[in-house]
Amino acid sequence: MSHLAHTVAVRATGVDMFFGTPDNQVVALKQADFEARRGELIMLVGPSGCGKTTLLSVIAGTLTPQAGTVEVFGQRLDGLGQEALTTFRRKNLGFVFQSFNLIPTLTVVENVMVPLLIQGRPYDEARERSLALIEKVGLKGREEGRPNALSGGQQQRVAIARALVHEPPLLICDEPTSALDKDTGAHIMQLVRDLSRSPERCVVVVTHDHRIFRFADRIAEMEDGRISRVVDDPKLLDTSHL
Amino acid sequence: MYRLALNMLFGDRAKLAMLLCGLAFSALLMAQQSSVFFGIMSWTYTPMVNIRAQVWVSDPMVEQVNDAKPLRDTDLGRVRSVDGVAWAAPLHTSFVQARMQDGNFKLITLVGIDADTFAGAPAVLTQGRIEDLRLPDTVIVDEWGASLMGRMGVGPDGKPRSTPLKVGDTFEINDIQARIVGICKVRRAFTGGPFVYTTYDRAKGYTLGARRTLSFMLVEPQKGVAPAELCGRIERDTGLKAWTSDTVIWNWGERSLARNTFWWFWTNTGIPFSFGTAVLLGLFVGIAISGQTFYSFVLENLKYFAAIKAMGAGMGVIARMLFVQAFTAGLIGFGLGAGMAQAIGRVMIEKGMPPFVMFPQILWATFALVLGISFVSAVIGIIKVSRVDAASVFRG
Repeated sequence: MSHLAHTVAVRATGVDMFFGTPDNQVVALKQADFEARRGELIMLVGPSGCGKTTLLSVIAGTLTPQAGTVEVFGQRLDGLGQEALTTFRRKNLGFVFQSFNLIPTLTVVENVMVPLLIQGRPYDEARERSLALIEKVGLKGREEGRPNALSGGQQQRVAIARALVHEPPLLICDEPTSALDKDTGAHIMQLVRDLSRSPERCVVVVTHDHRIFRFADRIAEMEDGRISRVVDDPKLLDTSHL
Repeated sequence: MYRLALNMLFGDRAKLAMLLCGLAFSALLMAQQSSVFFGIMSWTYTPMVNIRAQVWVSDPMVEQVNDAKPLRDTDLGRVRSVDGVAWAAPLHTSFVQARMQDGNFKLITLVGIDADTFAGAPAVLTQGRIEDLRLPDTVIVDEWGASLMGRMGVGPDGKPRSTPLKVGDTFEINDIQARIVGICKVRRAFTGGPFVYTTYDRAKGYTLGARRTLSFMLVEPQKGVAPAELCGRIERDTGLKAWTSDTVIWNWGERSLARNTFWWFWTNTGIPFSFGTAVLLGLFVGIAISGQTFYSFVLENLKYFAAIKAMGAGMGVIARMLFVQAFTAGLIGFGLGAGMAQAIGRVMIEKGMPPFVMFPQILWATFALVLGISFVSAVIGIIKVSRVDAASVFRG
């Protein structure tokens, strides 16, 4: 790892997040602290309902916490308005979703082009860059096909290409292997790990899938709306409740 | 993003087909019904088109061209004496029964024109000569009338067939013989009956018992005198009503008899209500089908729009994407609908029934309404997408 490896990429401090009405309040995050470093792949694990997805949404700027501070690559998110958050996501974030969220009526290459076109890049340039990345994730020859014609693993590769095509510093992966078999999941995680090995990038993965823990540099375990502990070695985790 | 928006739209062919069906049907209904409406309304002032004169003079109580109130023959002299009148000719119009040779009766529009000048004579004769009207007991019948009044017989296929009247055939009006010396081509009238032209004096004979037979006077202004100006002079000097003869719906003036006839039918008949209902129905059907289909298209793509939002697309970009999709569908739907309306119109024009007049303004109005439907559909979709939380993409 480079000298930047221990520089903070994401820092959330004292984050509170509640849902529902004051009479019927659900606490999702309670004084949650989280830190991710540049050049690392960190996993967020924990039982269902512990607040993993909420923390991921707060880091991604799609949810604004009621209390606490969130900083991503030096940019404070907690004071930003919706428009600024949208701009922030456009420039800094790549997403890999659990159900891929590939648009079925678009071709593979068109799906990958979406983040570049959102940034206002010219169509031809976006297409060229997308084709290069599709080749890099091993899908050359499938560019003009529809996502539905691909296997689950191939679809997730397209999703990864889409998440990285605009070279975002922060890659957010929400259960990236839950719809995949063991081998395909391992391939996908290897790909994510390889592509994330840059000092200017950080990957945060939310997962229940203990089979992929070995790809993490660190694992943050969540419980009752906060990070209960962070480990470097997956073997140190009790995965029976995951 | 707009190119991708279009690819999203065209990629879902089933939804697109449904959307286009709704929009095309709506455009067809609105354009076709409006065209038939204007066709029927244009028939109401058919005499103004068939009988050509710059100024028409009538009884002051006349409201529209089909409602002639007889004048005294001496009124003709009074009108001729008005300053600016080049000439004035008498015109008789009435509805009378004609008895065919097979004993059948038909209601006809009898038109009596001045035998000296033939002012008001039909412009196109397909058979015969106008001068032959000066021969005794002669008439000229229009093409449509000739087939309507034709002799019933049996065709080679054994089915009943009407043989159109031709030059030389005869029928009777009030027991007086009418011999056909010409067949003319004129526009059909709202009343649907044949036009039978004869001389003004002979028309008097055909309408036995009528004390007054002068329905209108056809007037030509002197060179340099505007028809509207002459109308004012005639009204001032004679106390009669004078009308201009402009029949172009978008340009007719206050004094146009065609205009007054149009609005008389608009006010006093159920035609506008009937056709207006059909046009509104087209609009509502369009909004219902297209709005619902587009909404369902948006619902189906909601999670993708949420993902696009999460990736950093603002609502402005997404709204424009939805507008591009809705307006593109609207444009194609309008093209299909208007094309079908044109095709149906061609068939109608060839058959002569029902009347069909598709003004460019009808197409523009239909286009605007279809875009309105698209706009409403897009707005419904935008409201739905705007309420989607970008964070929802992380909830499976």
